[in-house]
Amino acid sequence: MTQDNRSGRPQGRPPEGDARLSRVEAQLRGPFLLFFVSAVVWLLVASVLGVITALQQGSLAAGPFRDCEVFSYGRLVAVQRNLFVYGWGFNAFFALNLWLLSQLSRFELRNGWLATLGGAAWNLALTYGVAQIFAGHQNGFGLLEFPREVGPVLAVAFLLAGFWPIVAFARRPTGHTFASQWFVVGASFAFPLTYLLAQLLVLWQPASGVVQAIAHSWFVSNLLLLWIGASALAAVYYFLPKVLGRTISGYYLAPVAFWSFFFFAGWTGPAALLGSPVPLWIQSVGVVAGAMLIVPVIITAINFHGTLSAESGWSRAWNDTTLRFVSFGAVAFTLFGLLNAVFGFRGYNATVRFTSFAAGQEQLLAYAFATMVLFGAAYFVLPRLTGALWPSAKLVHVHFWATALGVIGSVVALLVGGWQAGKQLADASVSLPQVAKAGAAWQYVLTVSAVLLLVGAVAFALNAFGMILKSSAPASEGRHD
Amino acid sequence: MKNLNTLLAGVFLAVALPFAALVISSQAQLGALGRAPAEDGGPLFPSREPGLAIQGRAVYVSLGCVNCHTQQVRPAGQGSDIARGYGVRPSVARDYVLQKQVLLGDRRVGPDLANYGARAKDVDAVHAAIKHNGGFSFLYAGDKQTVASERAVALAAYLQSLRQDYSSPEAKLKQ
Repeated sequence: MTQDNRSGRPQGRPPEGDARLSRVEAQLRGPFLLFFVSAVVWLLVASVLGVITALQQGSLAAGPFRDCEVFSYGRLVAVQRNLFVYGWGFNAFFALNLWLLSQLSRFELRNGWLATLGGAAWNLALTYGVAQIFAGHQNGFGLLEFPREVGPVLAVAFLLAGFWPIVAFARRPTGHTFASQWFVVGASFAFPLTYLLAQLLVLWQPASGVVQAIAHSWFVSNLLLLWIGASALAAVYYFLPKVLGRTISGYYLAPVAFWSFFFFAGWTGPAALLGSPVPLWIQSVGVVAGAMLIVPVIITAINFHGTLSAESGWSRAWNDTTLRFVSFGAVAFTLFGLLNAVFGFRGYNATVRFTSFAAGQEQLLAYAFATMVLFGAAYFVLPRLTGALWPSAKLVHVHFWATALGVIGSVVALLVGGWQAGKQLADASVSLPQVAKAGAAWQYVLTVSAVLLLVGAVAFALNAFGMILKSSAPASEGRHD
Repeated sequence: MKNLNTLLAGVFLAVALPFAALVISSQAQLGALGRAPAEDGGPLFPSREPGLAIQGRAVYVSLGCVNCHTQQVRPAGQGSDIARGYGVRPSVARDYVLQKQVLLGDRRVGPDLANYGARAKDVDAVHAAIKHNGGFSFLYAGDKQTVASERAVALAAYLQSLRQDYSSPEAKLKQ
């Protein structure tokens, strides 16, 4: 870490560390590690299930567990997606957002037990919800499959575990704020609101007929963009300038990126309902909002890629473990935004509707972008919190290459496979078995990618757990970097 | 950007405005939809689901069938739904007013089921389809998987109840 340039804080660059930071970090070590360890455990489970569902998909008659009701495809795939999002995505961002805002706001977490309680409640509710899905008590809405009694518990647990960044922001000693802080505060506030409203209208007091589907599409887009997306953007805004030791290019545009991202993202949901029996104007609003979302995507592209392009930033990023992951994620986000704008429009959207294309977009956002950024962040934060070094450089390499190849393979297979299937489905003379046969090669790529993602996750977990165990002695004063 | 209240107010609006405009207003637009007769004085559609079909719907949800099957027919010009025989007319919001949990679905690994009841030949064909060429054996008993369990019977009844082949005020059938 660079220690120069401590006098005055230039815009577009997070504040440098000072002596108090070690105390800040010691305070949040407990809750951070709880969130982080649960996140990695859920990631491992989700990766194993990812391999099984990839084997099952497209061949209900074959594949593993064909005669086992509990592990039938319709349940496994729901559990897999929920564990990846609520288990990995939420726990990991609870940890990272808390750490980020504590750093940026010089916040000392005094009531860490509340966050710990929230984390415990979150993971217990998650476990219960997953068990209920396996037992056959699921709902028919993606990412809201948990039985409805899980919802309020998750909401309260979120307030306990995920609200600290807002407290940290409110109590910060300086007037200055940084882009990462806005995105984290926005994400931590937008999600609980969205979740409560969606729970109410979809599960507790179901709206009439297809209005449920509209509310559900609004919920999913908010969850993916305003929680996962915004949290990951905050991390990119932090780590790029921090590790490169340079200001964000075009930083004056960042407030526009923030507000346009938040104001357009919430409207994009109904683009996923094109052709559905919902009012046409609602579908059009979704399509237009998806296109408008290009504004923050372009600005973040200027901010991120501009910063990386100056002074051989790309090669420096490639040689730094954290930045290698983070800049991979930054590129993935730009690709996601472009695809999202182009494939929102009617012609393309109608072609890829009901295919794996939407899953590919979600994979691009949640894995290629957010998860890669989270991995990069872990390589930066964990050594500081544990005071230990990563046990194995080899495992870091295995982690990067397996994950990068796996995520590229799965995104390409889902997107291109989806596009091809959509083309064939548009022709009524091609039967469904023929479509499945033509897509068999992509199914194979998808399975291999799922195995690679599992290998990457295992390598990461071995390294991380080894490091945490090595440092299980109480947090030492002072930093080791 | 420095004031927490401004930030939170902005984010609140960013969540609440789309919610009000998309969800609340569509509830206002569609919430009062009820059943309607196909012709003056005729029976009301969509028909109420028989009790067995309601149980079957629970089986459908519990097995996660919605992950591979949609229940919506898109208008001509978007995809080939009508040409494929998934329906005789596009689905409209009124078709779903009686459903407590709408299972539109967003993935078609298998065929659309909005009109399955109208095109299934008989109950044996429905059971053959549920077996998916050898899967879902836990729903059947007997040496050759010929004895349908209660849940399979209910699921078949639900699938047979799925139909959107009546004339609706929003989507008239061509005579």
